Amino acid sequence: MNRATDQPEPNPLREGLATRAVPQPCSIVIFGATGDLTHRKLVPALYNVAADGELPPAVTIVGFARRKKRDEEFRRDLEEATRKFSRQPVRDEIWKTFGQSIFYHQSEFGDESGYEQLVKRLDEIDKTHGTRGNRLFYFAAGPDQFEPILKHLKAAGLNETRKGSWVRVIVEKPFGTDLASARELNRIIHNSFTEEQTYRIDHFLGKETAQNILVLRFANAIFAPLWNTHYIDHVQITAAETLGVGTRAGYYEGAGALRDMVQNHLLQLLCLTAMEPPTDLSADSIRDEKVKAVRSLRHWSRNDIAASVVRGQYAKGAIHGDPVLGYRQEENVNADSQTETFVALRLFIDNWRWADVPIYMRVGKRLPKSATEISIHFKKAPAVLFNKDLHDLNVLVIRIQPDEGISLRIHAKVPGTSFHIEPVKMDFHYGTSFGKASPEAYERLLLDAMSGDATLFARRDEVEQAWAFIDPIEEAWHAKKDVPELFFYPAGSWGPEAADDLLARDGRAWRKL
Amino acid sequence: MPAVSEKTYSIGVPVEVAKIDHELKKLWRESEGAATRASLMNLAVYSEAPGSLNSNTQLMARITEDHACRAIVIEADCKAEEDGVDAWISAHCHVSRAGSKQVCSEQISFRLNGGCTSQLPNIVLSNLDSDLPLYLWWQNEFHEPMDPQLWAWVDRVIYDSQPWQDFRAQMRLVESAQAEAKQRIILCDLNWTRLDKVRFALAQFFDHPASHHRFAKIKKVRIDHASGFRSTALLFVGWLAAQLNWRAEKTEGRNKLQFVSSSGQRIDIEIRQCDGQPIHELVLTAGDIEFAVTHAKCGDLLEVSRGIAGEKRVPQLMPAGKNDPVSLMSEELMRGGPHHVYLHAVERVRDLL
Repeated sequence: MNRATDQPEPNPLREGLATRAVPQPCSIVIFGATGDLTHRKLVPALYNVAADGELPPAVTIVGFARRKKRDEEFRRDLEEATRKFSRQPVRDEIWKTFGQSIFYHQSEFGDESGYEQLVKRLDEIDKTHGTRGNRLFYFAAGPDQFEPILKHLKAAGLNETRKGSWVRVIVEKPFGTDLASARELNRIIHNSFTEEQTYRIDHFLGKETAQNILVLRFANAIFAPLWNTHYIDHVQITAAETLGVGTRAGYYEGAGALRDMVQNHLLQLLCLTAMEPPTDLSADSIRDEKVKAVRSLRHWSRNDIAASVVRGQYAKGAIHGDPVLGYRQEENVNADSQTETFVALRLFIDNWRWADVPIYMRVGKRLPKSATEISIHFKKAPAVLFNKDLHDLNVLVIRIQPDEGISLRIHAKVPGTSFHIEPVKMDFHYGTSFGKASPEAYERLLLDAMSGDATLFARRDEVEQAWAFIDPIEEAWHAKKDVPELFFYPAGSWGPEAADDLLARDGRAWRKL
Repeated sequence: MPAVSEKTYSIGVPVEVAKIDHELKKLWRESEGAATRASLMNLAVYSEAPGSLNSNTQLMARITEDHACRAIVIEADCKAEEDGVDAWISAHCHVSRAGSKQVCSEQISFRLNGGCTSQLPNIVLSNLDSDLPLYLWWQNEFHEPMDPQLWAWVDRVIYDSQPWQDFRAQMRLVESAQAEAKQRIILCDLNWTRLDKVRFALAQFFDHPASHHRFAKIKKVRIDHASGFRSTALLFVGWLAAQLNWRAEKTEGRNKLQFVSSSGQRIDIEIRQCDGQPIHELVLTAGDIEFAVTHAKCGDLLEVSRGIAGEKRVPQLMPAGKNDPVSLMSEELMRGGPHHVYLHAVERVRDLL
């Protein structure tokens, strides 16, 4: 999206060949390299960018994990996983060279000598593979491991930037579980790395449609004058999925939908929708505006929370006609769990642009269909001429996934001699208009981190402001008295009725997806 | 109406020229629900080669898989004694990536007889999908008169300079038409597109600032090209010269060129014909380091390596791109923006082409 501020002198031979910052040679050290994320997402993503010719030849992957393994075994495991999860088929000849740049480093995360060995190994790789002392540390391990890893990286001097090279760290969510823990995590990270070196990854921001929100808003003059309280009635943001908690119960029980989805993904989408135009496309200009949007969210009193936030949990029901268990019956879930699998919120942004425009968000598991979208509901035209009996509003829908695209609902006269007006939809589908498949979010984000472009990564203040908004809700839900009710909804429905009431009170309804 | 099948390779059903719009509407009405029409551009294809209507229809069937458009395919027989226009309509339909629906591009085909140039502007202009850019793929050599009425509407003109006999004369025609049209027509040369992957492969060697000092040490470039692709190799030389600020010094025969860099370094360029791909191999020597880009045996990959001459190296693989018209067009249609770099490259070698 932008050219990073610390970009080196441009390569004259690149002119006209690339419209993005160029990724630099480096060693990518993945902590937690034997885990799911590495096998399902990270290495397949790196393979795909290599197969597309976007990965510099001098990029190596060093897996850091506890299990005993040799390079060859690690490569075989990753090849098998990549063949299974890659967006494009694996070609033997490409894997052969790609695989040769993968290494395994066995060590406990808390073992100092493991890091000392890592230093030697990376120096050796610099010499043999031309990675030029550049290091990208990817934290794919659990957050409880961050502190020992960071401490030992610092002790081994691996956080230090040598002349002409760089060191960056990518941190996976969750970025804490509340404001205090997020601050503590940031403190721990900043003991070893500066904010400029820290890339907090939210894969939602790597999606093509999420990136397109800014293009839609700021490259099309028709929307700019309408994008405010004078013309927008309300906004809805939905992230629905048919899946249940699956194998994530261990994590999800302690997190719930609010922390798992709203604090990061949904608030990021809200920021892109609500932010003011940035002064330029640099990472910090964009993130400055996003932070202002989160900071302007209206904070609630206890009473407001009960009235503006609905939490729910799925009970047994059916998905696509198949019976499914309720949340409390799922494996590794407490039989009396109070964890929310659904949240609906009615919130406001108290600034000039969005004054009095309600923003409704809902996120849930075991809903009838999987869909993530933002819908902008415009105000009615004056109730004279045609609009006396019209109830539908003009709606602009930005579909994030699946079936990425944009649609606009307008009113049209039904052909005939009578004067009958119906809503019609103008629809743009990425998949229809552009034949080429979009890269996976991780492909884009890994290349950005290698290029030093932090635009699509969350900054410290964004994360902390988001927690400052979320914390009072969590506190209300975990209070000793006057706790807002946990509503149950059958799996396969659109959540509890209380979520519908949230809008019905304002004379509105959720968009039918 | 033509069957809306996964791929339509025929030029479709004959229609009266005056009723094309009406017949297209009928076509979509009848297939409503089963297929979605999509279009991002008007892509007009002009050829004077006999039988091109059919061969271009096959190309469009494949190009529209990735580039939804309204295709206007024109075959002209300018020497026909009688003037006349025949027209057909058809649809190229493909299952979308989501896999649930058919996405279709429409094609209007014309055979022009007799006064081709006078008929052409009206045929194109009266059949454009409104508000979409017009890309004109000109498959012949250009010739006078270049109708300003048509050129004023063209956003991108796509041609392949590779078979041109007289590059300078052809470019003069294109550039004068461009000037006369008084609008920003972007010149897209498929012979330049052919170089994309090779340029990319060479450029990536110099991404790190620490390697930039090697630009000043370049002393030798060797380019091996397939028969008929000398112009492609020369465009490559033009690119290096323009981007690295080299000045042409002298030529020894057709295949040995000499340039001088801004710091006075002499650069010897050797262009050799060989069997293989259009640009089969290039080796750039800077000081004691060789940067090599070679087509791998499997054809669609490039082996890229750097190292001291004569020493064993482990090459990396990168996509090579393909030399067929569908791949070249797809590559060209994927990218937007002007082609300043191409124009600068042409400037440096215009007299050699």
